[in-house]
Amino acid sequence: MSALLLMAPALLLLLVVFVWPLLDYAWLSLQAQSVFTGLEAVPVGTLNWQRLLVDGRFWQDAWQTLRFAAVSVALELVAGLAIALLLHQRWRGRGVVRGLALLPWALPTTVMALGWRWIFNDPYGPINGLLQLLGLATLPFLAAPELAWLATVVADVWKTTPFVALLLLAGLQMIPDDLYEAFALEGGTPWQGLWRITLPLLRPYIFIVLLFRLAQALGVFDLIAVLTGGGPASSTESLALYAYLNAMRFLDFGYSATVMLGMFLLLLAGAGGLLLWRRQTDAPQEVRP
Amino acid sequence: MTHTSDPATATATAKEHTTATSLRLEGLCRRIGGRPILDGINLEVAAGECLALLGPSGCGKSTVLRVIAGLDPCDGGRILLDGRDISQQKPARRRVAMVFQSYALYPHLSVERNLSLGMELRGVDPEQRERELAAVLELLQLSALRRRRPSELSGGQRQRVALARALLRKPQLMLLDEPMSNLDAQLREELRPQLRTILCGGRAPAIYVTHDQQEAMGIADRIAVLQEGRLQQCGTPQELYQHPANLFVAGFIGRPQINLLPQGDGTVVGIRPEHLRAVDEGGLAVRVRSREWHGASQLLLLESAQGPLRWTCDGNQTLGDDLRLGWERRHEHRFEQASGERC
Repeated sequence: MSALLLMAPALLLLLVVFVWPLLDYAWLSLQAQSVFTGLEAVPVGTLNWQRLLVDGRFWQDAWQTLRFAAVSVALELVAGLAIALLLHQRWRGRGVVRGLALLPWALPTTVMALGWRWIFNDPYGPINGLLQLLGLATLPFLAAPELAWLATVVADVWKTTPFVALLLLAGLQMIPDDLYEAFALEGGTPWQGLWRITLPLLRPYIFIVLLFRLAQALGVFDLIAVLTGGGPASSTESLALYAYLNAMRFLDFGYSATVMLGMFLLLLAGAGGLLLWRRQTDAPQEVRP
Repeated sequence: MTHTSDPATATATAKEHTTATSLRLEGLCRRIGGRPILDGINLEVAAGECLALLGPSGCGKSTVLRVIAGLDPCDGGRILLDGRDISQQKPARRRVAMVFQSYALYPHLSVERNLSLGMELRGVDPEQRERELAAVLELLQLSALRRRRPSELSGGQRQRVALARALLRKPQLMLLDEPMSNLDAQLREELRPQLRTILCGGRAPAIYVTHDQQEAMGIADRIAVLQEGRLQQCGTPQELYQHPANLFVAGFIGRPQINLLPQGDGTVVGIRPEHLRAVDEGGLAVRVRSREWHGASQLLLLESAQGPLRWTCDGNQTLGDDLRLGWERRHEHRFEQASGERC
């Protein structure tokens, strides 16, 4: 009884900020609430869900979101690890660089997305300016689907690599130096040390990074809303942006909730898979005699 | 620890490819930010000999090991292993094994993987790896634990794994940095004879860092006492006890601590608590202030005109007793007060 009482504040918080909105959305996804109903909620059963299953734009956006998340998180992991390794070494001015390296992450996404929009501007942005200086033709970065997609990935990698580097740096600092010293005395090279010691011991941190970053990237909204607005021709549109458009532009709240929940279920499946994978690879591989 | 196998023969087998080597340090220096950490250390360790580096915390004894191993740079002097100067070689090339204070076992690997990783890195073929692994597991009674991770081992077991890893390196020189400081006192005493056989049975010299003089005396053939980066004295435990070279060594070696009585002529007389005798006439007038009972003997803390004294005795003196104490001439150590050197 007292255990329940002690957990009550946390449970209450979860209930208010998580369970209740979720239930509210689940209810809303079973209603039609749009301009056609005069913004009144009208029960329509599973009509919204049936629409979702055959909504090409939803599945198109799901694929685009997944592709965006997978590619940018993979790039962030590699770049973040390289930066973390660099910042873990001892060198003059490291403290300053450690601070500076965090700047992109500290910037509000909207602000940095506006910045990138200008950088990618055709023909007045700096990148196209450089291309012109080299005597090349300008590129329509935000007007061609492939280039626009690349632009969203570049901006996302630029912004969140510091976060990845920070987490991995914390992980690196947890590895005692004497492991590397023992390894060196046994004849191991630094490169071998990276694979034999650093990466295995960094695994829990890599897992955390993947969890955080994938959840964030799969729910990407502000970066894409500001940088490309989901265009051109919704080729960079993410699920979160689609849900937003349904509610705020098409004023179809019932279906927006359905899109949101659909995305939630996809995320849940992904996170579950990741957890399962971790549990399997982390299980004690060896049986004691 | 039980005695199932004979450690000496097994160690000899484990080290069969190692040729006898000797180590010489010539004027070894190490500075950090201009401050000398090691100030011209000269030492020699013969093949198969175990030398203990003894000193208070911060005296530089661990730094000596790190410089020899190549983990810290050598800022002056030479390190001669078998006559070859290794002071500028990379750590991996020195054929030196080290047992770390923390043991530095790879936490993500099982005992057997911890032990075979080094051989794998050095390109030892799998069959030989398995043979040597089995031999060293047997020697240190780790066979039953080979599939466990370090986190599933006790402190003593971890220490044995660290020792096994060092032995598998087939080093020309064995370095041990306070390998027992994380173990409880009883286990330390149990492990001492075993460690001694393993270290002194091999052909490689061993250097054993400790701040515990009992451990140093119990394990090492010779002891080098270090203070503030300088070698104070190097000799057998008996030499250090019977002929301390200076006031520091006299005060550092021997428990309870030696009594130091300043004389009027600029010298200090040192007399060990166990060498004081009660006398009827002459000697030093003292009063018993307090006592510690140590079982076989008791330690009396006394007060005299020349300051406090410690006396190890088996008498039945009680607090407040007035006594007279003397000592034999041959037990007296005399030092110059100014330099601290033995007269």
